[in-house]
Amino acid sequence: MHIAVILRLNPVLTDELELTEGGKDIDREWIGFELNPMDDQALEQSVLLKEAHGAKVTAIAAEAEGGERLLRTALARGVDDVLLISNKKDDDAPPPSSRARTPLLVEAIKQVKPDLVITGILSTDDLYGELAPQLAACLNWPQASAVSDVRLDGMVLTVRQEYAGGMAALIEMDLPAVIGLQTAASPPRYVAGSKLRDLLNTKVPEMEASAEFAEDLSEATTLNLPDTSGGAEMIEGDAKSVAARIHEILMERGLV
Amino acid sequence: MGGTTTPVLWVVTLLAFAISGWRFWLLFRPLLSARPAHRTDRLGERLRGVIGDIGLHRRLLRFTYSGVLHALIFSGFLVLFTAIIEAFGSGLFPGFSLHVIGGDTWIALLQNIFSILIIVGLVMAAYQRFVVKPLRFQGSNQYDATVIYVLVLAIVLTMLLEAAARMAILAEPSPWRPLSSLGMYLLVGLNITGDRAIVAEHVFYWAHIAAILGFLIYIPGSKHRHMFTAAPNIFFRPLTPKGQLPPPQQTEESAPEIVTEYRDFTWKDLLDTLSCTECGRCQSVCPAYAGGKPLSPKKLIMNLRDGMLTDQGLLDSPDHAMPIVGGVIAPETLWSCTTCRACMEVCPVHIEHVPKIVKLRRSMIEQGTIEPLLQSTLTNFQSQGNSFGKPPKQRARWTKDLSYKIKDARKEPVDILWFVGDFASFDERAQKLTVQVGELLALAGVDVGILYDGERNSGNDIRRVGDEGLFELLATHNIEQLRDCQFNRIMTTDPHSLNALKSEYPAFGAKYEVVHYSQLFLELIKEGKLKVEPSAGATVTYHDPCYLGRYNGGFDAPRELIETMGHTLKEMPRNRENSFCCGAGGGRIFMEDNPTGERPSENRIHEALGLGGVSYFVVSCPKDVVMYTAAIQAVGAEDKIAVRDLAELISESVVVPTEVATHDNA
Amino acid sequence: MRALIFVEHSNGVVSENAFEMLLLAKSIGAECHGLICTGDAGAAQALGTQLTGFDAVSAVADPTVGHYNPEAVLIALKAAVETQAPDVVMTSYSTAGVDLAAGLAVRSERPMLGYVTDLELNSGGLSATSQVYGGKLTAKTDLPLPAVTTVMPGARKAGSLSGAAPAVTMLKPDLSGARTRVREIITPDNSSGVNLGNADMIFCVGRALGGTEKLPLAEALAAALKAELAGSRPVIDAGWLPKIRQVGKSGTKVKPKLYLMAGVSGAPEHLEGMESSELIIAINSDEQAPIFRKAHYGTACDMFQLIPALTERLNSGNS
Ligand SMILES: Cc1cc2nc3c(=O)[nH]c(=O)nc-3n(C[C@H](O)[C@H](O)[C@H](O)COP(=O)(O)OP(=O)(O)OC[C@H]3O[C@@H](n4cnc5c(N)ncnc54)[C@H](O)[C@@H]3O)c2cc1C
Ligand code: SF4
Ligand code: SF4
Repeated sequence: MHIAVILRLNPVLTDELELTEGGKDIDREWIGFELNPMDDQALEQSVLLKEAHGAKVTAIAAEAEGGERLLRTALARGVDDVLLISNKKDDDAPPPSSRARTPLLVEAIKQVKPDLVITGILSTDDLYGELAPQLAACLNWPQASAVSDVRLDGMVLTVRQEYAGGMAALIEMDLPAVIGLQTAASPPRYVAGSKLRDLLNTKVPEMEASAEFAEDLSEATTLNLPDTSGGAEMIEGDAKSVAARIHEILMERGLV
Repeated sequence: MGGTTTPVLWVVTLLAFAISGWRFWLLFRPLLSARPAHRTDRLGERLRGVIGDIGLHRRLLRFTYSGVLHALIFSGFLVLFTAIIEAFGSGLFPGFSLHVIGGDTWIALLQNIFSILIIVGLVMAAYQRFVVKPLRFQGSNQYDATVIYVLVLAIVLTMLLEAAARMAILAEPSPWRPLSSLGMYLLVGLNITGDRAIVAEHVFYWAHIAAILGFLIYIPGSKHRHMFTAAPNIFFRPLTPKGQLPPPQQTEESAPEIVTEYRDFTWKDLLDTLSCTECGRCQSVCPAYAGGKPLSPKKLIMNLRDGMLTDQGLLDSPDHAMPIVGGVIAPETLWSCTTCRACMEVCPVHIEHVPKIVKLRRSMIEQGTIEPLLQSTLTNFQSQGNSFGKPPKQRARWTKDLSYKIKDARKEPVDILWFVGDFASFDERAQKLTVQVGELLALAGVDVGILYDGERNSGNDIRRVGDEGLFELLATHNIEQLRDCQFNRIMTTDPHSLNALKSEYPAFGAKYEVVHYSQLFLELIKEGKLKVEPSAGATVTYHDPCYLGRYNGGFDAPRELIETMGHTLKEMPRNRENSFCCGAGGGRIFMEDNPTGERPSENRIHEALGLGGVSYFVVSCPKDVVMYTAAIQAVGAEDKIAVRDLAELISESVVVPTEVATHDNA
Repeated sequence: MRALIFVEHSNGVVSENAFEMLLLAKSIGAECHGLICTGDAGAAQALGTQLTGFDAVSAVADPTVGHYNPEAVLIALKAAVETQAPDVVMTSYSTAGVDLAAGLAVRSERPMLGYVTDLELNSGGLSATSQVYGGKLTAKTDLPLPAVTTVMPGARKAGSLSGAAPAVTMLKPDLSGARTRVREIITPDNSSGVNLGNADMIFCVGRALGGTEKLPLAEALAAALKAELAGSRPVIDAGWLPKIRQVGKSGTKVKPKLYLMAGVSGAPEHLEGMESSELIIAINSDEQAPIFRKAHYGTACDMFQLIPALTERLNSGNS
């Protein structure tokens, strides 16, 4: 069993976002990047499968910047192998979307030849299509997104797919297949700094993809800061006075 | 003496020694399979410490009452030893006697005097333990203490009575034995003289022997074994800088030391546990304990000891060993420590609590069992190099508010390299003070620069959390950055960074002169580079940050500064070495803080309020600004006391020369 | 202009999202086709009768898609797209939508746009508004046709259009190639008697709760309000509250009279579950939090101070 897990870096969204001039991208000057939280779940799930079934796990990334570090972290977390797709995009352009990256990742997957591909169900910037279904379409493999549990039995895969209203289904798929993971069976583990330190000088294998980035609609898109007017009426003051005001509002509406 | 006494005494004495020796052997056996610790350097200094802390009771006397009573019993014991020699000498080697050197005269007098002192000491001890009942004895072995009191009293009384009976034979009191003479009158009054007194002397002699041998047999299992272990434990104390934690031991063959079982500790760690007197001094100063957290440094040491002693597999089967974390010590206990070092500072036998806690934390980190909030903070450190999870690029964002462009020390030489630290860089409240410090430096014409996005967290607290690898990554990054800079000294406002730069980085071969801003500003004022006009003067109190004070001895500069600014300093009862931690250290600030009692910071604010009439709570650490502002809000004392950083006090009093109003730092 | 709307349904009832998409498609003047996938012809007819306002409805009735099967449904959808050649394909932003839209876009070589909240006609095509970065930004895209979209729930307020439901045309694509099989349907465990869907008052806590240690605070407020306690997904994932108390896309959709929330950022997946609440009051220490754009009242007060204060206030005010 060979599992490929696809990892992406995402801007940290806890801070206020600003836009570049022209609104083609967010201003990345002050922004930090982190492993996409859903891919983090995917990574954990892959390692859990490895531990349960002795699978081999290869982590793949296609980042222009920070990819090596990202993949070293994956090694520390327990994957067996990593592969960085070198990214020939020019520096100033915004990082390519999931859709744009798909052909490069497909090429890498064909090289790695996994039985199962796992990635996060979505990343906050994949406006032009989520990654898992696109990979599946290109590879012509079955796919399921919003997966919260993955079980392997020989070459048969069973996943739990989550729906609205707390509904779910157990779905069986033939391998090879692609999964868009939502939640791993247990939260991402902590890796001690000593493991990262030991991997500090590990060479991350790279591949030069011959595929081009796919077309997406990013050229046709402009970003905007949302209109905040018409939002909530803000209640100011210390906890006591805010509590008093909320109480008042509830009384006015006969809710208490 | 003679007759059957000698052979019988030989038999019982040897038997008692054998039993006692065997019991000691069982206790100390684990030390043989423990890891090495190199504690035989600087012998003179080691010996001086033993003399100071045992001979002069230096640490013991910090708790006056207990110190005095201990001194009474301790010195009495030294003198009484002569009586023990006399008793056994004469019994084992008929004809032996101390008479020739004054055993019947001045030695006897001393024995009588010190007997009184011991009895006074015992009464004081019993009064304290059974009537006053200080909280620090909570969890100590009361029964053990009582047995010891009784045995000691028995030894003293039988000694006195034996002499009394001897004198009663002829009803001849001795001026050298005033106390025994009193006893003699009592015996004579009871008509015990002549032959009856001879019998009595024998009875008391054997009672005395029995008490001493009983004591000998009893003591290995008692906390009073510290009579034997205290001196070596103090002798083998660490002499490395206080702020330097022992790194994990690593030899070529072995994996880095991760303490999961007892044999992973060093022999000194284990000796520590056997030396604990259960005095509870550590517990009484521990902020975690005071805040209702599941940690008492005393119980920690006692539990480690008891765990070791019940861990039968330690030696006999290498495959079986009791896991320490989770088995003997709960993870929550270990996470509760702020590494404030108050316990170590006060422990009369120099037990090293913090290194043990950190060693055990390292094993938890290595196994990935850590609490969720700490995990996300550590992940922030791993990905961004700071606890806030902010990108390194944002580190110098606060400089936007400076009136000048501060130098990039990586690009041009500077006199003072300012290591800003995480809180001072990222926390909004602390940032304001950082800007003030920057303005003051400019005003004094200091040639200063920072590392901009090259700086990372110093790693001080991460090392204490137990993530050794992450600490190394951060430290080596900072050291590499600093290597390319030209500067004379490093200045920081953050005591945690100060400690790492000053005490931890030298282990990586990086030695710098590091000063706290309190020291630098004091210099600048003394040299006249910064002119201050003492203000009207408020009554203030000052909190010593653990990593500035206790760890690095920075007690005086802040106080001098406060006074130079014209304020009156009213000390809190716990000050200087005795300062009470705010509760943020050792990575606690990164962990879940579910209130279990009064937070240490709130406890401290109450202490300050208790002084009466103090308007400012002065601090000299960016984390303290945050901790105490919150604490004052929590206790609702905003109208009574306010937090002031030293930088604010200086800014309020500084004279801004008009011509330098638009200062050019270039 | 022709729109093909993928119609989701559960327990024989068409999902509201289908009508929201219908209204959105009508607003750009599209001829609206619906596609139903279900297990048998009878079920298809029954669902079809609910689709009032649609201009045409086709259905795939095949046991393979008796329950949603990501691969088989994609084959069916692609077949429908090939026969009907719509200008725009609309799926809801749901599990099925995520599975289908991007896959269809690649397989039919169409551009795709996600998280759409609005569509307008412009010269030569459509102008689409969508949400990115967890709802923190909006994006405007000139959408060339033909295209595929996923539409955010709540993009339009659902309401049925008058008129008769169109007759259902049956499609018979070959689904035999599917390598995916549905083995078991799992319904949420409702044994604890919690029913957020019917609750009048809900107090919801988010990730900022930090752990079960603070749960008593939240429970006390819920008790004082006589409200059901609910959580955002991270709260459920961490095990602080049972799954049955999750609000949002993968939890329960709620419509209480009062939805009080603390320490919830207001991610689109959460909003989806609660935005139709009558009164939303949000407590979040970040003034920029997206939740304040949906809430009626908001405060940036620290929740750990406000929750006890409010509890006290309510308890003293109620007695
Ligand atoms: C397919 C899919 C389905 C999903 N389904 C759901 C779902 O059903 N329900 C759901 O909720 N989510 C769902 N999510 C997850 C969703 O995207 C968000 O990740 C989640 O809702 C965030 O939860 P939160 O708001 O509690 O946490 P966060 O986004 O971390 O927000 C915490 C907030 O608390 C605030 N805060 C911090 N401290 C304080 C304080 N002391 N006082 C006040 N405020 C404070 C912060 O400012 C922040 O805004 C789903 C995601 C996907 C991809
Ligand atoms: S270092 Fe401080 S917090 Fe830790 S055990 Fe010692 S006194 Fe307590
Ligand atoms: S560790 Fe030291 S201070 Fe603490 S109880 Fe033991 S001897 Fe006393």
